[in-house]
Amino acid sequence: MKRYLAALFLVLACSNERPLPPTTSVDESTPQEGGTVVRRLQSDVSTLNPILSTSGYDRFVAFFLFTPMVHFDVNLQVIPGLAEKWDIAPDGKLYTFHLNPSATFSDGSPVRASDVLFTLKKIVDPQNEAPQIAGSFEQLDLRNTKVIDDHTIAVAFKQELAAQLAHFNDLLVLPEHVYSKGDFKTDFAARAVGSGPYRLVRREPGKEILLERRPEYWGKRPYLQQVLFKVIIDDGTAWNAMKRGDIDESMIAADTWLMESRRPELTKTIDFRRFYTLTYNYVPWNTRDPMLSDKRVRHALAMCIDLKSIIDNLYHGTARAMNGPFTPDQWAYNPDVPVIEYNPQQAQRILNSLGWLDTNHDGILDKGGKPFKIEMLISGGANPSNPFSQLFQSELRKIGVQLVITPLDPSAFIQRALAGNYQCAYLSWDLDPDPDPFPLFHSSQIPPHGQNFVFYSNPEADRLMEEGRRELDQSKRTTIYHQLHALLADDQPYTWTVQVSSKWAINKRVHNVKESRGWGLFKWYPGELDWWIPSNQRTHDAAARRR
Amino acid sequence: MASYVARRLLYALLTFFGITVVVFALVHSVPGDPISFYIGTHGVSQLSSAALDAIRREHHLDEPLISQYLWWLRGVLTLDFGSSIINHQHVTTRILEKLPNTFILNSIAFLLAAAIGVPIGLWSAARSGRLMERASAVLFFLLYSLPSFWVALLLMEFFSVKLRMLPLFGMTSDDYLQMSAAEQLLDRLRHLVLPVVTLSYAQLAIFARFSKSALTEVIRQDYITAARAKGVAPQAILWRHAFRNALIPLITLLGLTIPFLISGSVIVEQIFQWDGIGRLYFDSILTRDYPMVLGLTVATAVVTLLASLLADLLYAAADPRIRLEEQR
Repeated sequence: MKRYLAALFLVLACSNERPLPPTTSVDESTPQEGGTVVRRLQSDVSTLNPILSTSGYDRFVAFFLFTPMVHFDVNLQVIPGLAEKWDIAPDGKLYTFHLNPSATFSDGSPVRASDVLFTLKKIVDPQNEAPQIAGSFEQLDLRNTKVIDDHTIAVAFKQELAAQLAHFNDLLVLPEHVYSKGDFKTDFAARAVGSGPYRLVRREPGKEILLERRPEYWGKRPYLQQVLFKVIIDDGTAWNAMKRGDIDESMIAADTWLMESRRPELTKTIDFRRFYTLTYNYVPWNTRDPMLSDKRVRHALAMCIDLKSIIDNLYHGTARAMNGPFTPDQWAYNPDVPVIEYNPQQAQRILNSLGWLDTNHDGILDKGGKPFKIEMLISGGANPSNPFSQLFQSELRKIGVQLVITPLDPSAFIQRALAGNYQCAYLSWDLDPDPDPFPLFHSSQIPPHGQNFVFYSNPEADRLMEEGRRELDQSKRTTIYHQLHALLADDQPYTWTVQVSSKWAINKRVHNVKESRGWGLFKWYPGELDWWIPSNQRTHDAAARRR
Repeated sequence: MASYVARRLLYALLTFFGITVVVFALVHSVPGDPISFYIGTHGVSQLSSAALDAIRREHHLDEPLISQYLWWLRGVLTLDFGSSIINHQHVTTRILEKLPNTFILNSIAFLLAAAIGVPIGLWSAARSGRLMERASAVLFFLLYSLPSFWVALLLMEFFSVKLRMLPLFGMTSDDYLQMSAAEQLLDRLRHLVLPVVTLSYAQLAIFARFSKSALTEVIRQDYITAARAKGVAPQAILWRHAFRNALIPLITLLGLTIPFLISGSVIVEQIFQWDGIGRLYFDSILTRDYPMVLGLTVATAVVTLLASLLADLLYAAADPRIRLEEQR
């Protein structure tokens, strides 16, 4: 028995492993066509139907298969997509799009204005249970939206919205003659017909998605012949796959970055990248909580966050300090707003002046017999909110404030937040390219109507947010958001902490990998469509050969 | 026999309904709901409240719990477990898609663990108290205590990254479809090695110690002493007289293990990217995908009930003193 087992093991172990690529010299300065890039998906897509997509991973794949009405460029500015040009009526409520007349779907049929209308109808139809993309077209006026001719469509809205043009990036146009048949919600999870530069070869749920360049693509042809998405959920496994050369790119965890990014044997083949995206971490304060309703208290608590030490020790310098609802990369960012300085003595003086004193000498401040004790919700598991909350806890203890940390899973947390049943938390947001903060801070968005779960309400801020989201003049809009930035920083409904950089490993055989200002490597144009692999380094071609 | 099985099936059915009530109540009493999955998943953009309402209506989330239960039960009785709230796919389709993967992996690990563990247990029982046996007991205890995620990562680092002998993750290679049938089988086996080892080493320890203690118990019995006094060969005593009686606790262990064959293992499935039930279960719980969680729980409950029925039948086969039918 033992001998058989050993023999079996040998057979299993010794069979074919991919040989290392041959190294002949090839001109690496000019892009070459062909080759297969292997991408990592941190989570399988929930569906290939782009209207029903529920995660960023769905969009990573949809980017290759479908074309949005407008693209974002490397600076996240709106540029033509399926629409080659557009006019916006002076009242900002009517958008006339002129489609690229040469655009075709992967089944060969032309892209028509009627397809755009069909897709819009599908997006706003509640029966499709797609609350995310539908949210981008909440103000759509379907009755006045009309097909003008085969390649022209006028899209009407009930209300003007400065961000609306950018939201057309969510409108990935579907061919009506394909998607009008069958069950829209379930029949298109594993097949796709779009107007993008690639077509679907196959999807194996939970495993991989293979895409192939369309030979007859109507736009600028990408270089790579195939894109293979492999689902690898576990970060450790993905990093091992990266080291083996099984995949060409992967986001990497902060500790992997710290330990591995300077090892010469790895930097020979792996390009370590770090950049900022549209995210920030923050402490939301429940402004309806009697202890936290005074902004001076919130400021005092914010003064106990030692951002410099957190950036240096927790993130090893790969993060930067935040001071408001916009990131330094956004035009809405007001450079004159200061970061709240770490000053626990000042914090203690403020709290003392507000009547919070340690009258019973137990080390905890109290007022009217009530101790200054607050609860912070963090998401469970091993992630940076854990050490942050502990650092904050020890700083607060020094000034006599007791912080109780409660780990929760996201769903349970959201329920408590929306019910106002919390005091503070540690969270992060992924922002949209358009900086409109209306959904987070406008008083009309207080739950159950929206996501203003800090219950922030300030008429002046409301006015700025209403004006800002409707102002079509960019310079006026910038002024408005600069004022809003200062006002929100002063009111501290959130205490913004840090923006943590996104860390990636990219196999050096993939050339011309660029990051955008805020969206990182993916989803902007041309982005991934400009990647190429020299012909002597095509290790994965045999692997992904068409079957 | 037949009436015993019928009676047991009736009990199983009642237990099953009890389980559905308890599980339904439990799943719904966990804080959070499926709608909260959508919050914050599309940047800070507003969500369409009309679409959110449509989701609530479609899945009866806006109705009282008792009527939600009845809706669901009505579906279950017609073998319709509904569709996922998150991606609209049918629960049954999703489960059947992943079930074979989990079943293959776990049953191979189970068989391997039993095939190695039980003989080791018998060997230890025969040599109970000697140095080698003591040492092996310590070794198995150590094995049992090693956390599987750590062992998995070590195995990966060594066999896949350093030696490049075995594939790192997944169930098949990229060029699987171009292989001949024999190569495909080999490819599948190669992908099974590391996950199977990770899953089975702890089980092996359980089997070894469990069968050892069961057998040691039996060996102390008077009839064994009698057989020995009669001059029966030690081998025959162990196999013919002792082992059969030691089977009872092993059958119990078997009955308890069978449900795990389909319930999957989150850690191993995640690390080796093995597309199985464990990960589906885990994700469904995180997103509060009620129909999916309930469907998976019902599937596991049914298998558990069947396994305990099977164990009862096997008891009788192993020990004639256990009667299936009541004395008339």
